[in-house]
Amino acid sequence: MTSAGDPAERSGDAEVRVVLDRVCKSFVPAGGGERVSALHDASLSVGSGTFLALLGPSGCGKTTLLRLVDGLIQPDSGTVRVFGAPPRPGPDIGFVFQSFRLIPWAKVSRNVDFSLRDLGLTAAEREERTRRVVKMVGLTRFADAYPSALSGGMKQRVALARALAPEPKVLLMDEPFASIDAQTRELMQIELMRIWTRRRPAVLFVTHSVDEAIMLADEIALMGPRPGKVIETLPVDLERPRWTYDARAEPRYVELRQHLSSRMKQFVLNDPASEFFGRDLGQPDATGP
Amino acid sequence: MALLRREFAMLFGVLRPCRRAAVRTASALRNLCKPPASMVIGLYRIGFLAFLMALWQVAATRMGSNVLPSPLATWKAAQTLVGEGQLIVAVGDSLTVYLSGFAIAVIVGVPLGVIMGGFRILGKTLEVYVFALAATPRVAFIPLIIVLLGLGVEAKTFIVFLGALMPILINAYAGVLAADEELLEMARSVGARRGRIFTSIVLPGAVPFVIVGLRIGATIGLINTVVAELYTAVRGLGGLLAIYGNTFRMAEYFVVVLTLAAVGVIVTESLRYIEARVSRWRVI
Repeated sequence: MTSAGDPAERSGDAEVRVVLDRVCKSFVPAGGGERVSALHDASLSVGSGTFLALLGPSGCGKTTLLRLVDGLIQPDSGTVRVFGAPPRPGPDIGFVFQSFRLIPWAKVSRNVDFSLRDLGLTAAEREERTRRVVKMVGLTRFADAYPSALSGGMKQRVALARALAPEPKVLLMDEPFASIDAQTRELMQIELMRIWTRRRPAVLFVTHSVDEAIMLADEIALMGPRPGKVIETLPVDLERPRWTYDARAEPRYVELRQHLSSRMKQFVLNDPASEFFGRDLGQPDATGP
Repeated sequence: MALLRREFAMLFGVLRPCRRAAVRTASALRNLCKPPASMVIGLYRIGFLAFLMALWQVAATRMGSNVLPSPLATWKAAQTLVGEGQLIVAVGDSLTVYLSGFAIAVIVGVPLGVIMGGFRILGKTLEVYVFALAATPRVAFIPLIIVLLGLGVEAKTFIVFLGALMPILINAYAGVLAADEELLEMARSVGARRGRIFTSIVLPGAVPFVIVGLRIGATIGLINTVVAELYTAVRGLGGLLAIYGNTFRMAEYFVVVLTLAAVGVIVTESLRYIEARVSRWRVI
């Protein structure tokens, strides 16, 4: 396995859009109690037009990392830079949430339009842009539907359209397809790839699915839990577009998959907070009758 | 914040079921439009009404007309009261007091609740007093109101206003506080400023709460209308209640009771209709 290089070294690159340098972030849990460290010394850099998958088990601070990159929260220590400055939420950074987060009382077109309101566009320009983006995600027929009338996959396409409408240079995606059924998910991945190929924003894509990470990403940043940090960054050198051939049969795919799966399993088995902590999953059940 | 919301959930545990009930009512209304089901339900309702009338008739014959007038006697009394005009005048008096008191409660309560929800420090400061006032039986203020405002329309309107205000205010406040945390973060990530987040996410999200508040306020307002008319200058439907009740003219008394029921039903059903209209997005 080759590492994709030291983040600090690569941050000299003018093409780098997102840089995290030894970022720490902790929270007081909602019910009170001791501070929990979500991220500890996390470093990362994402180049322009790069699709980076953040892969890791739950509880390794993947979502926290995205919220830091969007500027929704501030780091306790370390620095976050997007386009060379501390990030501010806005049209330059798009965010696609796992739970869609559509405005239920607004029709599809108004949901998409929601991200265009602060760009200083005229009403006609906004309408035109909305129409174009809605068409791009294939929902023209549903532009006047309320979100409650849409399936999960369609809702996530609306959310994607809303994130893409201001033409962001960085797109953050937080397990966007996790709550969508397997078949729709595969089609959504292809759809995302097609859109991304055309627009090429830098993408930070959070997932806990090894396959999803390999299928989509140029680079995979593997994250470990408690406290969350980036363990290693791996390039995915499989030819694009990957949906036109059976990428899963490639030796490189198999190699990456085995490596990442075993690391992910180790994280869970060695995580005291995990329900599988200390279990020996290599053997048949020895405690059985 | 989370603690406060739990407090609200406990205090107003009725809210969410009400919301759900509203959704159910909306879809039930929709189902009523389909001919077969609505015909059947309609027939059942007429059947039940016939059953009630029969029961009333039986009870009236058993107890005697000086306790419980028969349906026919009540109908005749209604005709006389309408014909002689005193019922119309009473309904006019009561509606004037009721609707103006309720309207002022809406005009004051909704903005005040929204402002309390929008400015957290103000809300936190005032909420204890609001809750304390809401927990006090408002009837206790009637002597004070009489001293201050006399026995006329102003006093009556104020009593209605005071009763309707609290549920309207508290529900508007709770609705603003219950804004969807996930949508708020989405709006922030889009770069929306505070004002736009408030008008496009917080306020529309609070509408179902506000309408529940209006419905509760309308009910309490009607109760307070009658209470006010009984305690201050005896007028309106409450006044007729007192007169006929005290003189044992039970048929006339029943007419007044049924009129009050009709007013209550019309007002709450109108609000329900408005609720179904503004929450069309809930049902497909």
